[in-house]
Amino acid sequence: MNILSLSGSIPEQVCDTIRFFGHGGSQRISHYCQYAADYISRVLEDEGVDGVVFPRSCDSSRTIGSYLEGCGKFVHQFHVPARRDAAAARYLAGEIRRYKEAVEGHYGTGITDMEERTGLVNGRNRALGRLYARLPELCYGAYLDMLHGLLQRPLRGQRVPEDLPACACPEGPRVFVLGSTQAGTGLIRQIEEAGLHIVGDRLPESRRLFSVPEVSTKGDLYENIAESLLAGLPSPSQDAFAEILKEDRDELVKKQVQGVIYITQKYCEPYDYLFPAYERMLDGLSIPVLRVTETGGGAGNAALAIGTFADML
Amino acid sequence: MAQLYLQLQAKLMRDYYKDFSKYAKGRAPSRKVAWVTAFTPVEILEALGIGYIYPESYAAVIAASGQEQGLLRESGRNGLCADCCAYSGCFNGALAAGTAPRGLPPRPDVLIATNNQCNTLPGWWNLLAEGYHVPLIVLDYPGEGMGKERALPYVTAQHKGLIAEMEGLSGNRLDEGRLAELIRNSRRSVAAWDRAAGLLADRCVDPTALFDGISYLITSRCRPETAALYDALYGIQAGSPLADGERTPVFWLGYPLWYHPQRYLKELLPDFRICGSNYITWWSLDYDGEEPMEQLFSAYNYTFLNLSAETKRVRLKECIDASGAKAAISLRNKSCKCDFVSAKYISLPQVELEIDMIDRGYLDMDRARRQMDILRETV
Repeated sequence: MNILSLSGSIPEQVCDTIRFFGHGGSQRISHYCQYAADYISRVLEDEGVDGVVFPRSCDSSRTIGSYLEGCGKFVHQFHVPARRDAAAARYLAGEIRRYKEAVEGHYGTGITDMEERTGLVNGRNRALGRLYARLPELCYGAYLDMLHGLLQRPLRGQRVPEDLPACACPEGPRVFVLGSTQAGTGLIRQIEEAGLHIVGDRLPESRRLFSVPEVSTKGDLYENIAESLLAGLPSPSQDAFAEILKEDRDELVKKQVQGVIYITQKYCEPYDYLFPAYERMLDGLSIPVLRVTETGGGAGNAALAIGTFADML
Repeated sequence: MAQLYLQLQAKLMRDYYKDFSKYAKGRAPSRKVAWVTAFTPVEILEALGIGYIYPESYAAVIAASGQEQGLLRESGRNGLCADCCAYSGCFNGALAAGTAPRGLPPRPDVLIATNNQCNTLPGWWNLLAEGYHVPLIVLDYPGEGMGKERALPYVTAQHKGLIAEMEGLSGNRLDEGRLAELIRNSRRSVAAWDRAAGLLADRCVDPTALFDGISYLITSRCRPETAALYDALYGIQAGSPLADGERTPVFWLGYPLWYHPQRYLKELLPDFRICGSNYITWWSLDYDGEEPMEQLFSAYNYTFLNLSAETKRVRLKECIDASGAKAAISLRNKSCKCDFVSAKYISLPQVELEIDMIDRGYLDMDRARRQMDILRETV
């Protein structure tokens, strides 16, 4: 099975998926996230992809299914609750079970290795956490490249390296990066080439990925996975602006961040709504922010804006 | 009949806006106030004596008064991206500017958002909560994906949680008999509205009256006067002559244009007549079930925009078939991605217009006119 997944909220304990990163494709949809449109293109145009799983966490992902109707592939929308209480955890456990049964039903296979996969996810996340803790001394672009490559491989083939190339500009201004999933690492490279030193992030494929608590294999595995998924660093689509602001304020202070680069996709409303509140929080800390919007295939004149921001810092 | 309609309309408007006036005069409202999204189970709030304000509806009022452009710019100056829903841009702009046509709404004691129409609203409400520092409750409605046996307990747990929190806020205890009565009122309102709106298909009915008239089904659906209002509307419209057979019946697929005097592009449709619109069916909630909790679940989990693409397509086809439309105008609304229903499956000649329901600057009239010319020739 070659299932293309769109979000970090899809439980990896169930089965392997290929995490979607990248640009390109023929789909152009008015007022619609280009990253989601590129995902739709890939599903429709790549014969190697035989299934898709995506969340229902934003307006674009909510309607992906309507663009994939009749594609003849396995299409599954995974509902991550907008809440994170006990009722939501029970509901999510049921949703994980429904996902597993849908995969089994479509591919005619029995999934029997969820416990083993749980151990693998736990171990990988621990290793990623260790690497992230060393970020100030490592090249962030290499780190993100590694992550993107890792998440497109089967879980058993995911090897977290012990080391990565050193940061080229350790004396540069310390910046923090947050936003939606990066389609590629081009912007990150531009940030580093401008002499900025990325010391932390809040990206779905990085810190949010391994922020989830370890999943116990004792008791009901579905409930354990659900509780873990809901206990990680939340997305702005999870009714948690106050929590995000508090967590990031602490992180920014701890890491002595001098600037924040807020990278979003065009038409990414969860991050668009978070931005004014985030900007106010940064104002309170006297930390400047640069907002960069990806429009598909790049971010226009981002290099110039990033360069100016670096000069200002 | 017309006089009764006007009296009921005036009463509902007066009741809805009374706290606005008090706030404008510097007095606190007499009851706790919630700011809610358009598909919030307000029967619970009404039963507990909590007032509720709809920021989305108020943004429509602001646009209808012609003040939206300055307020959209104001919210942009406060960091809100212009790509965001213009309802939020317009309303947040009014809050920032401290001005709006009917004054500012009373400060909220609680913010309640639902995701049964889109995912934008919880984000907008989170942003409001950061400004007001009041409790925020987001109700999560899973729709059809999970199946009723799992979704019902999940949603019911949230509704019961909402009741407990609102009892704490208001100091009142929920009377289940009162809740059941309010749900009966909502059902009657829906039935009366459906009857009145159904006349659009074959009578000479002004669609503007329906685009505006549905606002009471949004803001006052569980009030007993609402069904009476729509019965009166039906009485007025049932006497209208049959629709002009010379004009092509066209289905309006999307939001009304709140800034437009007629709420639709009347000037581009001299030889068409609007015979139906999906927007005016969205609040025809189905309170199906044996007892109040199940009824609220049915009504608010299965809103049109929360249905699967397949079910939406079937419903839409039924709606269009019932209208007798021979063509369709599909609106690609900058503010509402979830409104992009599967127009591609409609087997009628149609045009797709790029619009925004609030921001009048979004529509290219020349282009729309050319598109309508093509539709006219196709029909």
